[in-house]
Amino acid sequence: MFDNNVFKKDSCKNTVVDGKVVGFELETYITYYRAIPLSMVNEIAVKVDGVEVPREAITCSAEGKDWFTLDEMTTVTTYKWEYDVPLKIRVAQEGGLSKGEHDVELTVETRTAYIPIPIHGVNSRTVTIA
Amino acid sequence: MAIKNAVSLYSLQDEFMNGRMSLEDIMAFLDENEVPGFEILPDQMLHGTPNPTEETLAEWDRIMAKTKSKPVCADVFLNTNLYNNRELTQKECVDLLIEEIKLANRLGFKLIRLVSMVPAFVIEPLLPYAEKYDVTIALEIHAGMSFNEPETAEFIKEMKRVNSPYCGLVVDTGIFCDRIPRVFCEFNKQVLGVNPDVIDYFNAFFDKGLDGTHAFDENHNMQPELAAMAEPKDMPFIMLADGYENTPLTVLDDVMPYIKHFHFKLWEMTEEGIEYSIDYKKILQYLHDKGYDGYVATEYEGNRWILPGNPMVEKEQVAAHQKLLREAIAEIEG
Repeated sequence: MFDNNVFKKDSCKNTVVDGKVVGFELETYITYYRAIPLSMVNEIAVKVDGVEVPREAITCSAEGKDWFTLDEMTTVTTYKWEYDVPLKIRVAQEGGLSKGEHDVELTVETRTAYIPIPIHGVNSRTVTIA
Repeated sequence: MAIKNAVSLYSLQDEFMNGRMSLEDIMAFLDENEVPGFEILPDQMLHGTPNPTEETLAEWDRIMAKTKSKPVCADVFLNTNLYNNRELTQKECVDLLIEEIKLANRLGFKLIRLVSMVPAFVIEPLLPYAEKYDVTIALEIHAGMSFNEPETAEFIKEMKRVNSPYCGLVVDTGIFCDRIPRVFCEFNKQVLGVNPDVIDYFNAFFDKGLDGTHAFDENHNMQPELAAMAEPKDMPFIMLADGYENTPLTVLDDVMPYIKHFHFKLWEMTEEGIEYSIDYKKILQYLHDKGYDGYVATEYEGNRWILPGNPMVEKEQVAAHQKLLREAIAEIEG
């Protein structure tokens, strides 16, 4: 559910730090209709051209300043993923995505207190890296 | 004594999330449509709740100062599974809700809707705060977690025991469906590829005056005839289709004195000016006959089932539903 919220259009690009491409990044709205602390994000998964990136390579930030791995996020209760602010996701990968078109799939799973099943959303986009 | 219409800002969530309408735009929209009251999910449209920054509060005050529509209800959630390895303790639950009561008071709300499944043990420790801050706490009665749900029944039992004007219920009319929303069925058929026979199977219960809850046995296993045709692609529909319940209005007789507020669910206003699934004139007549004095808030959820390539129609649907409610209330109250 909330698949339409997943993977903000035109958000995927390579991450450049100090002139070096250290990976790629993308943004997503929440698979829910309200904000939750980052500890209530069950899973973020990224596939590029059908291949899943290593879980450990993923870090997320609610405000673009402080970044957490998925394991660290399980205890992050004071940073909220706001409803109208996309979560920033970075994938550490030397050189980032190669030039040209890629099929990128993003999966987001959040949990809620009163719905017994976590809310799972998936969306794919064709991304062009210049 | 009067029934007053309101709008839950939940109805305009897609406009808000995608930045087409700010909170200020939404309030202006309510005033343009002469909506007397509004309901908000603080977690949806205000940042950093239940402890927003002074800046966020100042912005709220600025918008409220020029808005005619009155704050009626704040929809509060309880993150009992904040951590993935344990449930919150009773103390943690109560402490979180105390913060929500204080915030509601600061924002100008006198009513909090507690989401379904909030445990009954919070009531007694919260009452002193509810009284001090003049904020009533009311559990939502929602399809799928309605009167027969053990947690809901326990809350109601405790609510009656404490018998305080500061504790009550909010009823969501998704329990009063005469048929399953057509927009939900069409989305499932056209976008998710759900087997039309499965959809027909659920719809057929309503022809017999029943609802989709009868597609499952008491252990919530699918009835054999449904299990025989259900495939994985049909499951998202099957899991939600019993959430449109067909309960007689008389289920409210016993709890009317405790009802503080209503969510008037909206999935589709038809060209005839009625809600496709729910007979609102019938419900409003019932509430009038029972002497209900309070708000009924449009909660549009058809936004989830807009077919790809079609425009979002949150504003149009809300305005049409408000017109229906305004006219029906005027007619009934004379």
